[in-house]
Amino acid sequence: MNLTPGKILGWLAGAALVAAFLVGMAQLAIGPAAGAWSATAAGPLGVRDVLFYVLAALTVAGAGGVAFARNILHSAIGLLMALLGAGALYVLLSADFLAVTQLLVYIGGVLVLVLFAVMLTSRIGEVNVSNASVGVVGGLLLLAAVAPVLVAVALLTPWRLIAPGPAVATTAALGDAFLTRWLLPFEVASMVLLATLVGAIVIARKEIKAD
Amino acid sequence: MPTKRTASKISPRTVVLVTLAVGLGLPGALFAAILLLSPLTKPAVIDALVGRVLGVDPATWPWTGLAEGVAVGILAFILVNFGAIVSGMTVWWEMRVSSRMQSRVGYNRAGAAGFFQWIADAVKLLFKEDLIPADADQILFRSAPYFVMAGFALAFVVLPFGESLIAADLNVGVFYLIAVTALVVVGILLAGWSSNSKWALFGGMRSAAQVISYEIPAGVAVMVPILMSGTLSMQGIVRAQGAWPWQWNVFTNPASTVAFAIFFISQLAEGNRTPFDLPEAESELVAGYLSEYSGFRFALYFLVEFGNLWVMAAVATTLFLGGWQVPFVGPEAYAAARGAELIPGAAWWGLEALSMVVMVLKTLVVLNLIVWVRWTLPRIRIDQMMNLCWKYLVPWAFASFLFTLLWQLAVAGTPALATVSGIALTAATALLLVLFLRQTRANLVAMGDRVDLTNW
Amino acid sequence: MPTTVREYTGSIRDTVKSFWHGLSITLSYLVRRPITVQYPDRTTLPVRDMLPPRYRGFLEVDASICTGCQACERACPISCIQISLEKDPQNPKQRVVTQFDIDEAKCMFCGLCVEPCPTGSIQHTREFEGSQADLRNLVIRWSDPLHPFPVYKVDKAAEYLPRVELGTLVRAKLAARAWDAPGPRFLPPEPPAAPAAPAAGDATPAKP
Repeated sequence: MNLTPGKILGWLAGAALVAAFLVGMAQLAIGPAAGAWSATAAGPLGVRDVLFYVLAALTVAGAGGVAFARNILHSAIGLLMALLGAGALYVLLSADFLAVTQLLVYIGGVLVLVLFAVMLTSRIGEVNVSNASVGVVGGLLLLAAVAPVLVAVALLTPWRLIAPGPAVATTAALGDAFLTRWLLPFEVASMVLLATLVGAIVIARKEIKAD
Repeated sequence: MPTKRTASKISPRTVVLVTLAVGLGLPGALFAAILLLSPLTKPAVIDALVGRVLGVDPATWPWTGLAEGVAVGILAFILVNFGAIVSGMTVWWEMRVSSRMQSRVGYNRAGAAGFFQWIADAVKLLFKEDLIPADADQILFRSAPYFVMAGFALAFVVLPFGESLIAADLNVGVFYLIAVTALVVVGILLAGWSSNSKWALFGGMRSAAQVISYEIPAGVAVMVPILMSGTLSMQGIVRAQGAWPWQWNVFTNPASTVAFAIFFISQLAEGNRTPFDLPEAESELVAGYLSEYSGFRFALYFLVEFGNLWVMAAVATTLFLGGWQVPFVGPEAYAAARGAELIPGAAWWGLEALSMVVMVLKTLVVLNLIVWVRWTLPRIRIDQMMNLCWKYLVPWAFASFLFTLLWQLAVAGTPALATVSGIALTAATALLLVLFLRQTRANLVAMGDRVDLTNW
Repeated sequence: MPTTVREYTGSIRDTVKSFWHGLSITLSYLVRRPITVQYPDRTTLPVRDMLPPRYRGFLEVDASICTGCQACERACPISCIQISLEKDPQNPKQRVVTQFDIDEAKCMFCGLCVEPCPTGSIQHTREFEGSQADLRNLVIRWSDPLHPFPVYKVDKAAEYLPRVELGTLVRAKLAARAWDAPGPRFLPPEPPAAPAAPAAGDATPAKP
């Protein structure tokens, strides 16, 4: 691993961001405005809390794997972990239908297709294919643009706290909502999918004609 | 040297007795454990037990969650073991059936009728060296079997064994089942790529293409019983059906019969069973994605492949063939026998056992059908496989889906329609069965042979 | 690939029909008695006696008519035959065969050694059951180095060459060795140990 100035800069920026985040969190937790927030954090760690932290760690670790793996397939496995973790978090939120959909669509569909497509390429182990396509400067600019927003959202949103209740069947409610109140967005989304399908067919047919 | 083999000191009678004891006792013990544990490991029962036995309030006792977790863990352990053992016994049964279909004798050395062969094979595989190809991707190569195993084991969560005998009656049951089996594809793809072998890669790619394609007709065909029952829960789908054949989903709606055929074929393809075993076509790909595996990892793939037979059969039974419904025993009978006790009485357990027997028998029939198809049809070509999926199964699945929508409207208007369809289709099936047996007899007689099961 | 409606429906009909007939055929075989006979317990005769006469099983050498010409050793494409000849110390004119080893584990039963044999001493038998716990036990030694057999002088006037009944010798050899007998330690010879300290400057010792 050779350290270029750009890399060092990137690491430093990352460390600074983490430090800033920690400082901000600490301020929020200690500061007078954080009374309600710290109250919820107190109390003994239940099985649910432990599960949540384990799953959250899995998700974050998976996401890190996607970004830092030197091999596209290892990135794909990281993606799998992140998606699985997100699905499990949905289960913790009593959103069973959503969790299973996450599993089916993202792991059964998207991830398998990603793996499939990756296997059709020949440069799986090459680093520069996997990462660093924008460069450190671009990455830093992106970070500078995105990080404040994310941190602000995470810290400033008054998160609603709901006591974990028993799991309720959400399938029927979801179906009702899709076909009544959210019918228009639902249909627009299917139009997008239709357009994608047509586009894919057009591209595929062109290639055949070119042969 | 065979002539100087030391004579076995165990008498044939003992061998038969031991074989029977193990062959019936092992699955019997597992079924009994499932029968006992699956109603008793529910959180509500555990909470009540905690309150009664330990004398603490389960709501405030800190270890309630742990107790529930341990109970579920024990049930999961039993279910995974059930999967493994059923898989091994399926191997033995399939080898016996296949040898008879090919006029061979088949397994007959280890134990009576060669029953212990699957145990011997498993032990042999455990002792084999766990080889990893030098240029393989170590991490992925090692982790791929776990994905496959997870996809297999997770399916058992929603497989019903009887009226109350299910690990968790998720209200998204069928959907969940389709989703977790997707993990198997991930495992197969990873195995194919990480082996760093042409054959494994081709096998993995073929398998992925096949499974992704056949998920569509399978999913649409599954929608038919879901529409007819109005629920995604496995138990809900069974409860919506009756015990008699003319009350089964497969017969109460003509489109459902088509959907059953489509679902069955798609399941064969998703399980990589012949005639869809292109991913491991021996003559072209050595063993497909598991070419480079050996020892325990290979055993895991094999376990999943044969254990999937049970899963496939149980799902088909649940969705289309009436599940565990016992004739003359309605939901009121279960409720009456259940009573209000925490641990219900013997009558309820008897009814549960009866429903389990019905479910297991139906599952075994479907399982045998899968085995039978495997040893009948040759492997199809890859273009035929894709043709079958996209030009036949998918359109027909959508057609039966649409027909079912209209049919449900019609049935809502005139409920007698379902009964008429059920009786007509049951009678037609019975007639076809008789004709089929006559055809089989004619095949036998044409060769100047007769039914002779003396050398089984 | 179907292009007309008739072809489309026809292929569906074919599929159903092939299921119908195929399943009924396999079912009819399922319920009849298998035609194969279980080896080796239930065969009417020992299997070697039911094999065709020209079956190529284990090689057998009749030492009493072996001329020691080594034609078989030269003919063997995979060198599974090893023959050594020496002069008899008592009688310098008489040559003796001190070693005649055939590695039956290596032999591929091609029969090329049988062809050049001038007397028919080396022959394929119908023996094939040679299970051994140790692979090296499948090397059959037709000459005892301590008691080498003299080479056979072909009698030009002889009408026929007196050969013992085919198979008896190899059967005796196989029967004399228990299936789990320990194998010989130095057969084939172990590869020579690498030179302890190669000369300085010569990093890669030349292979012999």
